[in-house]
Amino acid sequence: MRYSPTLIDHFRNPRNAGMMRHPDGVGEGEFKECMDLVRFHLRVMAGRVVEARFQAYGCGPTIAAASAATEVVAGASLLDLLELSAGEVEAAVGGLPEARRHAAEVATLGLRAAARDALSRTDTRSERDA
Amino acid sequence: MNRQVYLDHNASTPVHPEVVDAMLPYFSERFGNPSSVHGFGRAAREGLETAREQIAHFLRVGKEEIVFTSGGTESDNMAVKGVAMARRSGHIITSKIEHHAVLRAVQNLETMGFAATYLDVDGFGMVDPDALRRAIRPDTILISIMHANSEIGTIQPARELGAIAREHNIPFHMDAVQTFGKVPIDLDAFNIDLISFSGHKIYGPKGVAGLYIKKGTKMVSVQHGGEHERRRRAGTENVASIVGFGKAIEIRARDMAEEAQRLTTLRERLWEGLSRRVPEVRLNGHPTQRVPGTCNVCFRHVESESIVLGLDLKGIGVSAGSACTSGNVEPSYVLVAMGVPLDWAMGAVRHSLGRSTTAEDIDYVIESTEPLVAKLRSAMPARA
Repeated sequence: MRYSPTLIDHFRNPRNAGMMRHPDGVGEGEFKECMDLVRFHLRVMAGRVVEARFQAYGCGPTIAAASAATEVVAGASLLDLLELSAGEVEAAVGGLPEARRHAAEVATLGLRAAARDALSRTDTRSERDA
Repeated sequence: MNRQVYLDHNASTPVHPEVVDAMLPYFSERFGNPSSVHGFGRAAREGLETAREQIAHFLRVGKEEIVFTSGGTESDNMAVKGVAMARRSGHIITSKIEHHAVLRAVQNLETMGFAATYLDVDGFGMVDPDALRRAIRPDTILISIMHANSEIGTIQPARELGAIAREHNIPFHMDAVQTFGKVPIDLDAFNIDLISFSGHKIYGPKGVAGLYIKKGTKMVSVQHGGEHERRRRAGTENVASIVGFGKAIEIRARDMAEEAQRLTTLRERLWEGLSRRVPEVRLNGHPTQRVPGTCNVCFRHVESESIVLGLDLKGIGVSAGSACTSGNVEPSYVLVAMGVPLDWAMGAVRHSLGRSTTAEDIDYVIESTEPLVAKLRSAMPARA
């Protein structure tokens, strides 16, 4: 299996690995067939992601995709994050072999879920404040 | 550049330089078809028959009992299907941890009306001889149990299994691809009728293997064509590779005992180092009855492929115990049969040592594995 230098770099030096205290949004992507699990923690200000951190269980490409995804979403609005495509995450790791496409998908699912969670918390806060 | 450490000798081995030298003339000078009657053919035939003698000598059998094939898979298929089809119907006993070449050949025979029993193994991957005895039926026509499994290296109690087969007068096939040239195989003591063995696991070339068929064993050909290999396997013989195979086993006969001892020591060094420095690691396979160079371990809560990739980036070649194909990951069927829990089985890594492996290599692997596993675990989410 040949991987891009970008993917290898993210696997070797994962960006933003770990958890976050009091995150504004948490979401998981899971790929049951593969047992892959990626969890994202988001810090949000004014509807935009200021920091994303990840934890991942899976093969090398899954870890790399989760790492790259945290960079892709920095500065993005939560609403845009809901529309995040696996293709964008895949591009961020310099492409994936066909048999490892799920790595980008599981990361994307996790980020969308984290964005949904952050938006629901915002909505709850808005209703409470009103 | 990283140090390069190849620890995947159960998958394949580099061709021994003496083997290469022995093979070279058969590509250009002795290129004839060994079935041809002219001098060119006779020169090729001479190489072919010398190799047959070398292998027969190693196994202490008659050279007419050796058939050359294209690989261990073909040898296994020839043995299992050849014996079964000669009897048209009946019951076959094998184990759950056989190589796919045997498992799928038996499954294929089941679709044709044959019956099969797949024996369980214990936590070490060992077949229980009493279970074999209990599985025998009046219509049992073949017992096919491997000598050692490629993933875990556990060596089966061949002597006991063979004795039971002989007691019931049932042909006994043993897939010895992982043990041939590595540990002693006593065909008489094991009461073996057929064994499969391969070239590229013992520093010979790929694409060549053999099947020993004890004289008088009733079987049919599964590949039809010319009259090659005493009409047991049609097709022009892969002469250069067969010559290399013969040379490879000649070298193994010389080095086997000493090498087995050296590799056992290194394998223990590896396990001792990993178990001392990495938390939550377990050894798979029998602690002592194991192919000398095989050390299969599970790192709990880590995924095999991420370890394989991480070690690959350090120049280390090991193999994953679970394989991810198109988003589907399956734990090793061997480890599942042994009852290894899923959270361990998903993190299985096989190290298989060989001629080039040194103590420094082993220490480098231990030093590389410890931080890698720690890093992978540190970024791992706890499951709900």
